[in-house]
Amino acid sequence: MSTLEMDPVFSEALREALMTTIKNTPRARHRWRWRVGTGVFFGLSLVAGGVALATGVFSPPGAPVNSPLGNIVTATRVGTATIDLGTPPATSTDLSLSLTCLTAGTFYFPNGSSLGCDTADLSQAPLYRTASEVVPLAPGVDSITITTSTNNSWTLQATYVNQVTTAWGVNAKGETYGVQNQSGTPDLIAVVIDQGTVHGYVEESELNCAAGGNVNSPAEALTWDQESQNRNISIPVYESNGTTVIGTFITGDATGSNAVTVPLSSLSLKC
Amino acid sequence: MRTVLNVSSGEDEAIVWANVLRNDGDAFVVIFDRYRDRTYRHALRMTANVHDAEDVVAGAFLELWRRRKSVRLVDGSVLPWLLVTATNLSRNLTRGLRRYRALIAALPRSEVVQSSEESVTARIEELRLAAQVHRALGRLSASDAALIMLTTYEDFSPSQVASVLGISNGAARTRLHRARSHMAEALGSLEATADIIMKESRR
Repeated sequence: MSTLEMDPVFSEALREALMTTIKNTPRARHRWRWRVGTGVFFGLSLVAGGVALATGVFSPPGAPVNSPLGNIVTATRVGTATIDLGTPPATSTDLSLSLTCLTAGTFYFPNGSSLGCDTADLSQAPLYRTASEVVPLAPGVDSITITTSTNNSWTLQATYVNQVTTAWGVNAKGETYGVQNQSGTPDLIAVVIDQGTVHGYVEESELNCAAGGNVNSPAEALTWDQESQNRNISIPVYESNGTTVIGTFITGDATGSNAVTVPLSSLSLKC
Repeated sequence: MRTVLNVSSGEDEAIVWANVLRNDGDAFVVIFDRYRDRTYRHALRMTANVHDAEDVVAGAFLELWRRRKSVRLVDGSVLPWLLVTATNLSRNLTRGLRRYRALIAALPRSEVVQSSEESVTARIEELRLAAQVHRALGRLSASDAALIMLTTYEDFSPSQVASVLGISNGAARTRLHRARSHMAEALGSLEATADIIMKESRR
């Protein structure tokens, strides 16, 4: 039966009809979206970024440092395509990838993570519609496939890198500071606030408490969830000495008109 | 040797499907592009009629979207669910596609075009075989037909089909054995009248 293919006219019309049907369905919330701006330096990807983005970016202790090896391969394609990256240099440990959407759609990296762009995103600068990943290099891999629907256009920048994870800092009080990495979580976690203009640190214990980590019973958890619907919590942001306050970091998802932001110290929960 | 990172594994499809569940149209189109042809060939075997098979594919994907929250993934894939649904639709086109009749009727189709004598011959032969299978399957229940088709043509194990049908592995194997006997009997008696069936399938 393999000699038979579906009528292309019918198939394409059906594809369009499915897209229309889906577009008329209310969009679910919580769609994964790449964030640039306020955020905690959890894990590797926000810090490391692509090589192209990493230039000049503040790099806190404990962050992986990626040194590019060889040229950056840049390719623009439409639909699913595989980009040949050439032979990896001997000291390569990872692949640095920056994917920018040129049309609306969802674009998948090989590991299944994705970049979702809608029409509004396209009016933003490329930086704000770019997802960057640094992925471990598997033996024998010398190409990368981006998967998306037929008419979606994208640009990929890719380069082999050698990745070295730096050590956390230690302040006068003996507290470690930096980003979470394979070694675990430091006492002071690096954050950026004020649209990325201020870099500082939050106490791991305070961040954990503000996220509900000190809830001790199902009843407390229920109360916490109900209160959190309209409440965000602010915690102090310090310099690396863990003493000097330079701003506040706000956690929570409350965005409605009756949403309030309260300092962690005002809550009855003990942290 | 070249190794290419790819997204064809069940694990990755599960991630694509998770995005479908967030009403991501592009993710759904990835699924459509991946399984359209297999669903079509399956539908063609089931219906032995090109036009009906196209309707079944449309219905199967529209059902996949409508019922996305209750779809059972088998080893991370929606394909078995899709093929079982196509089987059910093929068994009762009128009732199964009622919900989508207007939409499907509005979709344009090519004029019948055959590019070469070879493709015409291939098409006739495929339809002739499909007509035989179609007639033999007519004697089975929809779930037995799905068991036969998915294990014979699509390389799924009886237990994988069983999990979509919601029956036990033991029941699937027993029913498959019985259905194969019925099929063998029916196909044997139909061979002699294949030409007549082929004409019917082309009407």
